[in-house]
Amino acid sequence: MIGRALLFAWIAGWTIAAFAWAPLVPVLGETTRVLYFHIPAAWITVLALGWSMVHSLLYLRRRRLEHDDHAAGAAEIGILFCIAATASGSLWAKAMWGSYWNWDPRETSIFFLLLIYAAYLAVRSAIDQDERRARLSAIYSAAAFVAVPFLMFVVPRIYFSLHPDPIINPRGKIDMDPRIRVVFFALLIGFTALFFWMLSLRVRVARLERRGLAAQGGAS
Amino acid sequence: MIGNAVVLGVALLVWGLVFFYLVRLERRIKELERK
Repeated sequence: MIGRALLFAWIAGWTIAAFAWAPLVPVLGETTRVLYFHIPAAWITVLALGWSMVHSLLYLRRRRLEHDDHAAGAAEIGILFCIAATASGSLWAKAMWGSYWNWDPRETSIFFLLLIYAAYLAVRSAIDQDERRARLSAIYSAAAFVAVPFLMFVVPRIYFSLHPDPIINPRGKIDMDPRIRVVFFALLIGFTALFFWMLSLRVRVARLERRGLAAQGGAS
Repeated sequence: MIGNAVVLGVALLVWGLVFFYLVRLERRIKELERK
């Protein structure tokens, strides 16, 4: 419980710091604060989908359903954060570029990513039998993740983009005001901790569901 | 300035609700695990 309270205090405290302590980026003005939510949400998307891929491969190797729980839970949370990143980015685009959607390479990439992982959830919901669902969705998730680095990191660098340079620029440096950098990385850590907490809850729910089904199966 | 305070207030409220929901969910999961 103390850990949860500390995590809330951490995220709330750094959110206040984003408003009261970190300066504004001159070009972005008041919209600078979207950065502290939008980029961590996109980071969690990549982390969660990567986690899903790793556990999908582990499932295919070891055939333990706990790995399937991790793969499915991480993919669901990844999609949730992907939607959050898309929505916050769309609002930011309206403020900065005058339109909610511009088919910018990053916007197009995240749209395809959502489609690919929505199909993953569709595959899972279409199969009843645990092992079969785990095996087929693990193959799908492992193959789908190949698109993630391509869509998130390669496509936006190939084509002209309205988006600014990535956080780590081509010279390998981070061009940020030191105070913005502190708040940004603090919130990145907070989001990462939140992801692992949410994932642990999702995995425990999946375990309970399976235990419930097993109990029902044993009773019948 | 008032606009910033409103946005910050809404952000903190939403974070609070998210944490409240997750803590309640965790408590419920613990109960079910004990059973």
